[in-house]
Amino acid sequence: MLLEARNLRIAYGDATAVWDASLEVAEGEIVSVIGPNGAGKTTLISAIAGLLRWNGGTLRLGGVDLARVPAHRVCAHGIALVPEGRRLFTRMSVEENLEIGCYVPAARAARDATLERVYGLFPILRQKREQMAGLLSGGQQQMVAIGRALMARPRLMLFDEPSLGLAPAIVDDMFDIVRRVREEGVAVLLVEQNVLKAMEIADRAYVLEQGRIVSSGVPSDLLQQSHIREAYLGV
Amino acid sequence: MPSMTLLGQSLVSGVLLGGLYGLVALGLSLSWGLLRLVNLAHFALAFLGAYLVYHLGTVWHVPPWWAVLLIAPLFFVFGVLQHAVFLYFRVTELTSLLATFGISVIIESALQWIWTADFRRFETHYASTSLKVGPIYVPVIELLACIAAAALAWVTWAWLRWTYVGKALRAAAEDPEIAVAFGINRRGLAFVLSGVCAAYAGVAGAFIALISTLAPSQIWTWLGVVFAVVIIGRLGNPLGALAAGVLIGAAESVAMATFSPAWAPVVSFSVLIVLLLWQPDWL
Repeated sequence: MLLEARNLRIAYGDATAVWDASLEVAEGEIVSVIGPNGAGKTTLISAIAGLLRWNGGTLRLGGVDLARVPAHRVCAHGIALVPEGRRLFTRMSVEENLEIGCYVPAARAARDATLERVYGLFPILRQKREQMAGLLSGGQQQMVAIGRALMARPRLMLFDEPSLGLAPAIVDDMFDIVRRVREEGVAVLLVEQNVLKAMEIADRAYVLEQGRIVSSGVPSDLLQQSHIREAYLGV
Repeated sequence: MPSMTLLGQSLVSGVLLGGLYGLVALGLSLSWGLLRLVNLAHFALAFLGAYLVYHLGTVWHVPPWWAVLLIAPLFFVFGVLQHAVFLYFRVTELTSLLATFGISVIIESALQWIWTADFRRFETHYASTSLKVGPIYVPVIELLACIAAAALAWVTWAWLRWTYVGKALRAAAEDPEIAVAFGINRRGLAFVLSGVCAAYAGVAGAFIALISTLAPSQIWTWLGVVFAVVIIGRLGNPLGALAAGVLIGAAESVAMATFSPAWAPVVSFSVLIVLLLWQPDWL
């Protein structure tokens, strides 16, 4: 198993955001986590990315216990994050943002090849490579955020609400890109409020509510459950 | 109205003095812009460097160039240790003002204790040498200070612009969390940068020793002007600090020549206020 989370509990001081979350992602798999606002989805993904320490349970990547890995080394172990709200380095150029993605020595050695791949995926970024990232449109900024994560040559890419704040026409493109990322052999863990899209693309999915995984399985099965149909699809 | 020669002379002197402003501003700008620490102690450290150069030169007859090579690494270590203390006490942008004010007072007292409050002057033959270009005198030592400031500002700019470490520092200044997620060891880099800033204070101090008269209280006279320079030059922008230093230096000097020397202190903040209100595109 590539990523293995067992009974994770994550708190901000006294406030526990995730009580009990266990999930798995296999190599080359797309796994979605759906849930309402405030369920702890972003908290969960932040902990996996190394931005947050968890208070209980275990987190392993390819058998390595991530509790022993300092935050700035998580990326070198093969995890790259596409954060909520993109969080680009707005005062740096597009290409500089991509270069931050390959800061880790192993990725840096492959910089030119990976950069070509990213520009192949997003030709518009090649044209805008000298522009300040903060001046791009929302969709283009999302491309930079995805490109930046690809530059790290990850084994697992974490997408935190990739469709949030994007025009509906671009949302479809974004999910196509998630598929193409997987075709390149990268596993994907996706956190989304757009439940239908997240289910459509995923091999497996988890439902996170009030800090607990309440349900998991193949999307077509989950979508049959009356609770999920009522809570997320309103039917 | 002063003569053209006087104007030209004051412009040249001002630009050269501005180079020194830029040199002092450089470390402050980097620490404020990239570490989010407002290091008031930068001035005190520069004067500590100046006194050390003075002492090494007058007592042990060490030439100032060698003194700098000794002081810069020493100050680098000081900067690293200072950052360790800041981390331990969780110093933030706001509390750094208070903490470094305290460090400044301690250094000022130490200077006063060791070298007394008397004015000191480091007499060297460089200090009295001038080039004559037409009717205008160009003091060699101030020219060297200006060249050193330009060289250091450019090297620092290139370092931030083109190296991975430089890009990492800029990225970490904007979004530390995401920078760490991409493998940037922000804490480690902050130590290095803090050391570099302190070493720059040492270099600036050597030129202060050669150019101006030293007294412990002088620490505070530089503060206002250099703060204006740092802000006009934009935080964390080495070339901006240099350009702003030259601008303020020249403006001060021309104001002194055309109105009266008493007007000099008004100039830096007037220029700052005008630029902040105007906000031109090139800034």
